[in-house]
Amino acid sequence: MAQKTDDSNRNLVVKLYRWLVDGLERTVYIGVQYTFPKRFVSPLGYLGVLTGIVFLVLGITGGLLMIYYQPTLTGCGSLTCAFSSVQKINDVVPYGWLLRNIHYTASNAMVLLAILHMYYQYFSGRFKIKNEVLWVTGIILGIITGVEAYTGYDLIFNQRAGLAIEIGSGLTNAPPVIGGPLRLATFGAGFTDFVLRLYSAHVFILPMVMLILVFIHFPRYMVFDIPVVSTVVGAIFIIAAFFPVPVSTQYDPTVGALTIPEWYLTGLYALLRTEFDKFVMGGLMPGLLFLMALVIPFVDTSKKLNWKDRPFFTALGITSIAQILITTAWGFYINPDASLPTLDRLLVPPDLYFGSMIGVTVLSFVLTYAFLRYLKAKERVRKAVAPTAPLLTRKWVYFLFVLLILAQVAFNGLAAAAGAAADAAKVAQTNPLPFDSLTLFDVGAVLVTFGVLIHLYRYSQNLPF
Amino acid sequence: MVEEAKEKTSTESNTSSEEKKVAHPITQVQVTQQKPQVSAAVPPRAVVSPAPRPTPTVAAPATRPPPPQMVGRRNFVKALVTIAAVLSIVPFVPWGSFLSSSVGNAGSYKRQKVVIDAKSVYGAAAGQVVNVNDLNTFPPDSHWVITYPSSGDATLDAQNPDTFVKYELIRLPAGALGGDTKNASAFVAFSKVCVHLWCSPNYNPDPAHQQYECPCHGSIYEVPEGLAKYGPAAQQDAPTNAIPMLTLTADPNGDLNVEIPLWDVEHNGVLGYGRDYLSYRNYIKPAALGGS
Ligand code: FES
Repeated sequence: MAQKTDDSNRNLVVKLYRWLVDGLERTVYIGVQYTFPKRFVSPLGYLGVLTGIVFLVLGITGGLLMIYYQPTLTGCGSLTCAFSSVQKINDVVPYGWLLRNIHYTASNAMVLLAILHMYYQYFSGRFKIKNEVLWVTGIILGIITGVEAYTGYDLIFNQRAGLAIEIGSGLTNAPPVIGGPLRLATFGAGFTDFVLRLYSAHVFILPMVMLILVFIHFPRYMVFDIPVVSTVVGAIFIIAAFFPVPVSTQYDPTVGALTIPEWYLTGLYALLRTEFDKFVMGGLMPGLLFLMALVIPFVDTSKKLNWKDRPFFTALGITSIAQILITTAWGFYINPDASLPTLDRLLVPPDLYFGSMIGVTVLSFVLTYAFLRYLKAKERVRKAVAPTAPLLTRKWVYFLFVLLILAQVAFNGLAAAAGAAADAAKVAQTNPLPFDSLTLFDVGAVLVTFGVLIHLYRYSQNLPF
Repeated sequence: MVEEAKEKTSTESNTSSEEKKVAHPITQVQVTQQKPQVSAAVPPRAVVSPAPRPTPTVAAPATRPPPPQMVGRRNFVKALVTIAAVLSIVPFVPWGSFLSSSVGNAGSYKRQKVVIDAKSVYGAAAGQVVNVNDLNTFPPDSHWVITYPSSGDATLDAQNPDTFVKYELIRLPAGALGGDTKNASAFVAFSKVCVHLWCSPNYNPDPAHQQYECPCHGSIYEVPEGLAKYGPAAQQDAPTNAIPMLTLTADPNGDLNVEIPLWDVEHNGVLGYGRDYLSYRNYIKPAALGGS
């Protein structure tokens, strides 16, 4: 924690901050050391912190969405309450569209960041510096993140949720012995219960478990890099503005839909479609993958950190990525021959599927070993890098400051105007979508600008006078 | 890692407390390494490889071992404590049925008159109590959707999208299947949840079909027993290859009733999972379906 320093010549804000930090000394937060880096450091090292920040964004937007979302089916006329309340959030509630799309994009970002975080720790060997508990809790957190995302998009009860329901039925029905109770525990006595149960899991149980695990998983050193955090959050807003997710149509179990689940579930979907036992394919196979991930720190115990010095584990990591990509790609596969019955179109041919999986394994190993050998052969002597002159002078930095502030003002103005226009459109019952997305884009741009500005500020602090 | 090291010493060496206080050399090394270094943004911590640590041995610190009977007594007490801890967890295991209960929010399962969902497509039958004697409103080789448990209001029921409370009421084709007989055996009520992946099958009255067909992946269940004979549901092992169904009986005046179901595979089946059709056959035989 921050060292006690002489406060006499500090201003009130700093004093208050020190008082707070000292007060936290006896709390859980004492275990965490945080740094605000004085210069740019690669975010690869703190992808975990970024994942946590996105989790926070999800918590805030999710909490707000709860205010209008109704986790029931009956009582809202011809549509289910679950579905129609999301429609209402999307189309009628001011800023509802923004919050929903931020929530959606952030959920994708969180899954992605978590995966990147794991692979970076894996290949860089940094997980060896920490202990095994951190790795294991990280893997468990990753799994829960996936489940959390899955429970979330089922709640809408739209066509895509229906597909998730299919996957869920395949997974919970299939296991021997515990299958029945497991199915009842997840789905209850029907879809009404199902939505309620997933809701309670999504908004309370799973986040609570995640929070508890996060306290174990927290490293002692946390990098809180305001520019990067602000940019990442802003980027999520901007992506959400450009790729809004439609509410789609309500889940209709009477038609066989050929939809594809969210990208992080298509792999599972492909496995389930290989005509083999649902439990083996949907339960044991992914289970095996997670088990492999869990035991990594107990198996890869060499002192070598660099991926170049751990050819086997590098090849294994590459294989896992390749396999995940291949299953995911198969998940998107639907036989293009429309004359075939639905089931045949959905079938993932097992010989091709497993053939491609084995092929990609062999290929990954061969290529990795070949590449590492090649690297060793042409081991280059590194030249000392001459210190470069600073890119910008103070004058330019100040000029950019002014520009960025002006940009922020402009984006703020645009956001306010677009927000008002969206409200007006909702009242007039015209399409508010362009204004909503413009608002979201502007707010995202404000955040990104702020990130850049802070970075520039820190840059200027290191410049010679 | 400090904790780990401590744990190692405590688990692997069953020593007295005085012994534990004498820190083992290895424990000490790891404690010193643990000191956090406050420096760069991501400071390289002491590179301790998780390579197998040398296991501490009991013999290292030279202290007087406790008399054997003390150790025995201590182990006995420990065992008691462990048993007590297990006993305090065991009573909570059955509480799991709070989660895995089939009670749900659907309503309570009572004996109930069969009422057709009030949907305009059902014409005169919409919202009506089914009577086995009424061959005009409920002709053979026809099908309707009913809700069980019902909310008591056929219009509300019709709006309920939860297929887990929906059943396809089929009046069997006349002739061999006996759809024109005036008793409960002329009817079957199949769950609307396919045991494959939970789509909603429909009865196809076409004389060439006369079977219960799922639109999603083409599973086909025969009538009147609801055993899948084609498609993915047919490939599933018993009992997950037959559609759950309600047990129907008729009042003396001909009104059709749903008997309180037994939600397990030997009886009415588990919704969205399956039913052992042979056991069900034995189950309904004594129920004297042919009238009553
Ligand atoms: S859900 Fe009925 S055949 Fe697949």
